[in-house]
Amino acid sequence: MQDTKTTNILMAGVGGQGVILASEIVAEAMLRAGYDVKKSEVHGMAQRGGSVTSHLRFGTKVYSPIIPDGEVDILFSFELLETLRYVHMLGAHPLIIVNNQKILPPSVIMGKDHYPDNIPDLLSQYCARVHLVSALDIARSAGNPKALNVAFVGALSRHIDIPESIWHDAIAAALPPKIVDLNIKAFTLARQNQ
Amino acid sequence: MGNEAIARAIVEHGCFLAASYPGTPASEILSSIARLKKEYNLDMHVEWSVNEKCAFEVALSASYAGYRAVVAMKQVGLNVALDPLMSAAYTGTIGGFIICSADDPGPHSSQTEQDSRMLAMFAKIPVFDPSSPRDAYKCILPAYMLSEKYQIPVMVRPTTRVCHARQNITTNNINGFYSAVSFEKNPSRWAATPRYRYDLHKLLNKKIEKISLEKKFYPLQWNKTPKKAHTCIIASGVAFAHVADIIKDTSLGDSVDIFKVLMPYPLNKVFIKTILESYKHILIIEEPYGIIELQFPEKKHIYGKSNGFVPCEGELTPDIIEPILHHFFHRKKTRRKLPANLPGQRPSLCPGCPHRASFFAIKKAFPNALYPSDIGCYTLGINLGVVDTCLCMGASINQASGLFHALSKNTKQQPPIIATIGDSTFLHSGIPALINAHYNGARFILVILDNSTTAMTGNQPTALSGIRVDGSRSKPLDLEKVIEGLGIAFLKNVDPYRVPDMINTLKEAALFLQKPDGGIAVIIAKHPCLMNIPKTRSPQPVISNSCTGCGYCVKHFECPALSITNGKCEINTLSCTGCGVCIHACPIGAITMDN
Repeated sequence: MQDTKTTNILMAGVGGQGVILASEIVAEAMLRAGYDVKKSEVHGMAQRGGSVTSHLRFGTKVYSPIIPDGEVDILFSFELLETLRYVHMLGAHPLIIVNNQKILPPSVIMGKDHYPDNIPDLLSQYCARVHLVSALDIARSAGNPKALNVAFVGALSRHIDIPESIWHDAIAAALPPKIVDLNIKAFTLARQNQ
Repeated sequence: MGNEAIARAIVEHGCFLAASYPGTPASEILSSIARLKKEYNLDMHVEWSVNEKCAFEVALSASYAGYRAVVAMKQVGLNVALDPLMSAAYTGTIGGFIICSADDPGPHSSQTEQDSRMLAMFAKIPVFDPSSPRDAYKCILPAYMLSEKYQIPVMVRPTTRVCHARQNITTNNINGFYSAVSFEKNPSRWAATPRYRYDLHKLLNKKIEKISLEKKFYPLQWNKTPKKAHTCIIASGVAFAHVADIIKDTSLGDSVDIFKVLMPYPLNKVFIKTILESYKHILIIEEPYGIIELQFPEKKHIYGKSNGFVPCEGELTPDIIEPILHHFFHRKKTRRKLPANLPGQRPSLCPGCPHRASFFAIKKAFPNALYPSDIGCYTLGINLGVVDTCLCMGASINQASGLFHALSKNTKQQPPIIATIGDSTFLHSGIPALINAHYNGARFILVILDNSTTAMTGNQPTALSGIRVDGSRSKPLDLEKVIEGLGIAFLKNVDPYRVPDMINTLKEAALFLQKPDGGIAVIIAKHPCLMNIPKTRSPQPVISNSCTGCGYCVKHFECPALSITNGKCEINTLSCTGCGVCIHACPIGAITMDN
C-alpha cells in the first residue's frame, strides 16, 4: 500500500502577513501541476493578529489535511520567532525558509518576555539548511511592501520543481487583476535572488 | 474549500432555499451559495437570518412546501435551533431538508467542543460525517434522497478540518430548475397536538429503524487484507483520513481491517452485529464524542473513548492518533522535543478597531466596573481588561441583569455594571434579553458596539447594513427605534473614535442609573468595521520627543501598531490606520497628529 511520498509544507506567520493567501497560491500551483493537494488552516479568532499556520500537502494521493509531527519537509515561515514554534515538527531532511522579519508578541512589547536573539543560529541547531529571505525588502523594491507574501512564495518556488509559468498562472488566479503585475514582479525578484 | 464544496453540491442538486447565521467554521457555506446564485443567475432564495432558529424554521418551511432546502450553522448555533430541530424530526419533511451543522473539535473558535451528531441522535435523525471536502461534496445528493425517501431531516456534520480544508474536486452542472410546489394543509401533521405527537414519535422510531438497515450506508472497508484479520479500526470524519494516511506509510494495513463510517447515526445494525462477531480487538476513532462507540451494545472488545484509549476532549490530529495506533499495535516511536518557553503570540483587535476605542473609554470612565460581554471580535477586549464574562450568544445582557439583582442586595458596594454586545449578536438574541432585563427592573449600562457587520466570521452584512447576502438592497433596521420601542428611557448614539464624548456619555449614563426613575442606559457606539471601509492612512499620529517610554499606551491601549523600541514609543507606519485614537492613550500627550 506504499504510495509515492507526500511532500509536506508547513507555513507559519502572524495574522495579517498574508500567510493564508500565500498558501492558496502554492496550493493552486500544485493543483495545476497535477498533484493531489490537501490544505488546512484555522480561521476565525486566530486571524486577528495571532499565530497562523497553514498545512499544505501534495503527492500522488493525500488523505489527511494535517501534517503529522516529524514529517515537515519545508518549514516556510513568515516571521523569525514563529519559526521556532514548529521546529519539533521537522522531518528527517528538512529545509527552513524564513522571512527575516520580527513581529513582537504583546508580552515582549510589555517587557514581560524577551524576544530570542539570533534566531537563525538557533534554527541551524535543528536543521542543516536554513535560508534567510528579506521578503519585505524585495516587495518594497518591486513597488509595494504588501506584496511580501507573494515575494516570499517566489523564494519557496526555487525548491519546487514545476514550470515558472504555472506559478504566474496561480498568482493571477488568486489576486485582483490590477495588482497581478506588481506581485509577479515581486515573485520573480525573489525567485532569482540567490 | 470544504464549505465551497458543500455549497456547490447543494446548488447542483436543486436546493431552492438556503438560510444560515454566520459562525466559524460554517460561515462560507451560505456565502458560497449566494455567490453561485449570482454567477448562474438562479431563481433561489438565500438569506442570512438574524439567528439560527429563524434560519432553521425558514428553511424547514420551504421543505414543507416541497422544495429542497438547507440550513447551515456552527455547532453552538444548533443549540439555538434545537427547539425546532426536535419538533421537525416528528413532523418530518417533504422536500429534501439538510441541516449542515459544523463542529469544531479543538476548539479553535467556539465556546464548546460539543458533537452535533449527539443532537442528531437526540432528535432521532440520520447524520453524515464526511472525512474530506470531496466526501462532503459527494454526500449531499444521498442526504437529499434519504431525506425525501423517509420524509425526515438529514444532518450533514463536517468539522473544522473538512470545512476549511482544500482539495481539488470535479464538479457537475448547475441547471437551477425547480418544479412548482405548493404547501398542502395537513394540520394533524404540521400542527400536531400532543395526542397526535405520540403517533408521529412512533412513526419516527420506525423511520430510524429502517434507515439503520439501509444497505447503502453500510460502512465501507477501505483496505484489503491478505488473510482474515482479528483486529479492526472503525473511523469516521477527518479522523478516518488521518488513520488512512498513517496506515498507508506502514505495513500495518496488512493485518487490520479498516472501516470508514459515513453515517455514524443510526449505525447500521447488521454492521454492529458482524463486527462484534468477527473481531477480537476493535479500535474506534471519531471526534469529538463517541457516537459510533455508544451504539455498540457490547464493549468488551472495544478500544475507544469509554475506556480512555482515545481522548475524550480536544482535536484528534495525526499527532494524537499516531501514538494511539502504535499503542494499539504495541509499537514504539520516538519524538522530537519542543524548544522551551517561547513568548506567545495572541490575537488582538486590529489597528484602528473602533471596539478598542470603546473599551478604552469604558475603562477610563469606570476602571472598577463589572464587564459582562458577549461573542464576537470584541471578546478580545479581554486583553484590555474590559471583558469579565463571555458565555454564549446574547448572554451579556442577561448576565448584567443577574449580576445586578444578585449584587444590589449588598447596598454598600454595588460596582457599576457595563455590558458590551455587538450589533449582530444584539439582533441574534440580545433583544429578548433587553426586554427581560428592562421589564424586571435591572439597572446597568449597555454599550452596543455597532460596526454594522458580523466582523469575526468574515464581515457578513447584518440587518442594520441594508444589504442582503446576494447584494440586493433592503431597508436597514433602525436600531434606535427598536430600543426606544422597548421603553428604554436613556439612549445615546456616539462615535467611539471621539473618546472624550464617549467618556462623558458613559458618565451621564451612570447618573441615569442612580435616578429614582432610572433603569437601563443604552449607548450605541457606532463606527464601521475598518475591514469594510477604505483605510485612511494619512495623516498618521507621531511620537514627540517628550515620550518617556513609560509603556502606558502599549499596556492599556494595546494597539498592534504601537511598540516600545529602545525606550521610546514607536508607531508602525505600515499597520497604523491613522485613526488617531491613541492620542488619548498617552498620559503626557506625547502622541500627536502629524499635520
